[in-house]
Amino acid sequence: MQITVNGEARDIDVEPDMPLLWVLRDELGLTGTKYGCGIAQCGACTVHVDGMAVRSCQTAIGDLEGASITTIEGLGTPEALHAVQAAWIEHQVAQCGYCQSGQIMQAADLLARIPEPTDEDIDAVMSGNLCRCGTYPRIRAAIHAAATTMREG
Amino acid sequence: MRHFVTVAVVAAALPFALPAQENAAPETPEAVSVELPDGENVEIALPESVSPDEGLDAWARIYEVASHPRCSNCHVGADNIPMWSGPSYGRTQPHGMNINAGESRIGAETLPCATCHAMNETGGNPEPHHAPQVAATWRLAPVEAAWFGRSSEEICAQLRDPERNGGRSFVEIATHLDHDLILHWAWNPGGGREPAPYSLQEHVNDVLAWGVAGQPCPGDG
Amino acid sequence: MASIGKIARRTFLIGSAAVAGGVAFGTWVVRKPHANPLEDGLPEGAATFNPWVRIDSDRIMLITPHADLGQGVAQMQATLIAEELDLEPGQFETDFGTPSPAYFNGAFANDAAEDLARIAPLSAAALHGIIFSAIKVLGVQGTGGSTSVADSFDKLRQAGAVARETLKAAAALETGQPVADLRTRAGHVLLRDGTEIPYQALAARAAGIEPVTRVSLRHRSEWRLIGQPVERLDIPAKSTGTQAYGIDLSVPGMVHAAVRMSPRRGPLSSYDASAAEAMRGVSQVLEVTNGIAVVADNTWRAIRAANAIETDWAPANYPADQDGHWAALSESFVPDRLDAEWRNDGDVDAAGGEVIEAEYRAPYVAHQPLEPLNAIVRVDPAGSEVWTGHQIPGFVRNVVASVTGEDASGITLHNQYSGGSFGHRLEFEHIRQAAEIAAQMPGTPVKLTYSREEDFAQDFPRHIAIGRGRGTVADGQVVSVDISAAAPPVVASQMGRIGLSASGPDSQIGAGIFNAPYDIPNFRFRGYAVPGLAPVSSWRSVGASWGGFFIESLMDELIRGAGADPVVERLRLMEAYPVAAGVLRRCAEMADWGAGRAENQGRGVAIVESFGTPVAEIVDVTMTERGIRIDDVWVVADPGIVVDPVNIENHIQGAVVWGLGHAMNSEITYADGMAQQANYNDAEGMRMHQAPRIHVAWNEDNDSPRGIGEPPVPPAAPALANAIFDATGQRLREMPFRNFIDFI
Repeated sequence: MQITVNGEARDIDVEPDMPLLWVLRDELGLTGTKYGCGIAQCGACTVHVDGMAVRSCQTAIGDLEGASITTIEGLGTPEALHAVQAAWIEHQVAQCGYCQSGQIMQAADLLARIPEPTDEDIDAVMSGNLCRCGTYPRIRAAIHAAATTMREG
Repeated sequence: MRHFVTVAVVAAALPFALPAQENAAPETPEAVSVELPDGENVEIALPESVSPDEGLDAWARIYEVASHPRCSNCHVGADNIPMWSGPSYGRTQPHGMNINAGESRIGAETLPCATCHAMNETGGNPEPHHAPQVAATWRLAPVEAAWFGRSSEEICAQLRDPERNGGRSFVEIATHLDHDLILHWAWNPGGGREPAPYSLQEHVNDVLAWGVAGQPCPGDG
Repeated sequence: MASIGKIARRTFLIGSAAVAGGVAFGTWVVRKPHANPLEDGLPEGAATFNPWVRIDSDRIMLITPHADLGQGVAQMQATLIAEELDLEPGQFETDFGTPSPAYFNGAFANDAAEDLARIAPLSAAALHGIIFSAIKVLGVQGTGGSTSVADSFDKLRQAGAVARETLKAAAALETGQPVADLRTRAGHVLLRDGTEIPYQALAARAAGIEPVTRVSLRHRSEWRLIGQPVERLDIPAKSTGTQAYGIDLSVPGMVHAAVRMSPRRGPLSSYDASAAEAMRGVSQVLEVTNGIAVVADNTWRAIRAANAIETDWAPANYPADQDGHWAALSESFVPDRLDAEWRNDGDVDAAGGEVIEAEYRAPYVAHQPLEPLNAIVRVDPAGSEVWTGHQIPGFVRNVVASVTGEDASGITLHNQYSGGSFGHRLEFEHIRQAAEIAAQMPGTPVKLTYSREEDFAQDFPRHIAIGRGRGTVADGQVVSVDISAAAPPVVASQMGRIGLSASGPDSQIGAGIFNAPYDIPNFRFRGYAVPGLAPVSSWRSVGASWGGFFIESLMDELIRGAGADPVVERLRLMEAYPVAAGVLRRCAEMADWGAGRAENQGRGVAIVESFGTPVAEIVDVTMTERGIRIDDVWVVADPGIVVDPVNIENHIQGAVVWGLGHAMNSEITYADGMAQQANYNDAEGMRMHQAPRIHVAWNEDNDSPRGIGEPPVPPAAPALANAIFDATGQRLREMPFRNFIDFI
């Protein structure tokens, strides 16, 4: 089967029930997407499938024929940051950083759908992304900052 | 193939014997024609006659299903917050992660249910505590059909009220159960979750029997 | 005196426990510096001045041996070196280095000495000397106990200064100009005429001279970096998915392994792996101590196959069910379980006044950092190799060596950035298992990854505890506090797993209580050690995580019972503790403590000192229709010195989230000998929607650099419980609070 990952067509030959997460990490070597819980409790594995944030640990590869997937590596790079990533750095959000790929992918989706999120919007969308280090105050601030950047360009 | 049967319905209330009919309960026994489709996943066959008492017994079983956590956890009210309850969920509590499905009932305004409850063509994901999945878009039931925490009388009244049941006859309720894959999950939830009682077929049979009996509810008359 | 002297001669004191089996050592052993590990294999033309700095012709490498688990200590250590070495961000790289006794953590002696001095007939200074010497001689390299800044602050500035002065000496030789005329700036030596020589260009010359060791450190007024926000060097990578953690590494020829270990911590009775063996990608099923391993070509396949093994485990050697754990604690407030009487001021038995009594409970709690435990091990007769993130890297080598039989010093360990720890990566079982698998396929790198469920099942949780308090109040004042706590000895449990025996009292049964910064006229604390319970481990803030909850809840009950103000009465009792009092006073000012609140709102305060750092917190809550909402938290800490104000704010906020979230939501309970919680749905800590606004400030009045990673945790739980009491009248005496009250 074929999927597109970060703009590149990839042929995949695995069991159809293998979660996208493990296809990305172990088959394609894209380790920016993290394994945290495997059961949609932590959000560390969040990627975009056809433009929508989903938990890649819950998405069977067999259901993705022809899908276009964006991972944290495809959102932006250290040399060409996405506005959300830039805000994450500006606000020095990360501690251990392990959840932040998923937080950033979810936040990017949030801002695409709700360009001026309130704190309540952030609570509603981001509470599925667990941060064991407790960087929530900075995630909140960074999302507001990224919203401003993306609005004002 | 579709075929028609004629059944004699004896009941005080017959709110949706025919889809077109509004909530006008006929006051006298009446013979009606019902379009009876072939079931795709279950057999849809009307019992010849069902007494009011048997109808109430059927309703009692329907209520066991409707109030079971596998059904009622997503048949929630206007706060749009699904519940986690039942034997495999510890204490009764709102769905974790501050989930709110919004007025869209699919999370369109907040976090789409499908973020975690991915569409799965094989309806898989039997692992404990995984987000349940079916070969359909995960969603809450319409707010009119709020069952969580409701009494048998309340749920029964709602189910026979076309204003609040999607304008469905009892036969259409049965075919809805036949067709809507998200409902089948209740009897096959996997992951160590307790399934809804009886079976999908038995539940459909009960809905049909209850309908033939005239959709009696506890507390009627 | 005699008995302690004797202990000192035949034991090593590590933490607060005396580890038997040591040897006496003379002054020369203690004074003798450890060899510089950077000299091993140092290429021609490269210079190393000490174990922390290596410069060669094209790059500057700073070794940051304290493990970075997310606290930002790689940056912190680099900042301290760069401050004296005159380096700018971007001019150097960092590396965790190879484990070495040279990186011993002498700051482990600080708390241990202060704690032991309470019960030993030796001064804290004398004990510090003994313990510090033992740590140095043993070369104990470790990250924990909130010691990284304390250990590094002088040592790494010194390392930077030595490198700087040696580079200047090299430049003097190179140019013929006197050292006194040379300066350094931004990675260059500056000559009088303005010529700038990059450090790298001086490496070869510097390598040929003895390091200049008589250096003086700059005065605080000259600091460029310390105390200023520095963009952490790991954050761009962690924001772009390009930071590789241990779990992300790939080594050529590597296979993937998963384990099923006994959830009852005992032997495997029987198993059937036939289904697993038939699964796609599975190459082998192997036995390891107390469990089974699956080797496959992919992580998911390995985990799935491991889950498909049918197992039968021997019973646990601790109570099968949770009630048995609580009963054992409850029955342990008896003389023969007395671990130590850590404090006994005045006479609590004779104190008069109105009596107030209460019992408090703290459950087992799992660590569960988001990166599951993992390790890559390649067993090789020429010296095995290990890739993992760990807090005690030297012991990782010992554990692998104990499996392979090789000399630990020949093992190469590549320590990694870790996706959190909170004490989890002080443990070695996953390392041992990876080594046992790898030893069965020499030459093949084996990457063991725990599933989250396995990680929960194998987590050695925070030690469970019961506290019993009895106090008296009179005339609006607290007159006496008599408090006891019973808990399993966590230090002995941890050390037992690496073959060390611990003797002597465990300071983590009572930390946060016996050092409470109060001069109460009558104040007694007794710790009771409970044997036979589940194995436990250090969990962020360790004993103080519940000690603080017990004492600060009791103080609140007493003060409110006396009709006094919780801040005013605490401050009255803190006159002998000006640093702690300063913290509380400032916190109360920030929060506007006396301000009025609505009927459904409440406010609570707590102050706990742990790891030498007093932290005060004030929590505001609102009782809503859906439960308690935490609105605001004000925090003031005094760690003595703040290296980076942005990083410390983040760290304190995170510690408050940790303390609140677990007090609200998390516990581990046992049934049939197994932890009942298997994933984050059962034990999630705090999420975004529950996180309050957290207002942070600090004083710098403490006498020496102290820790910050753990100290903001202990006051969070009691401040929240006290706030909920203020709002609702409901007194929460047992964690997690969600078992008793709803939160939004």
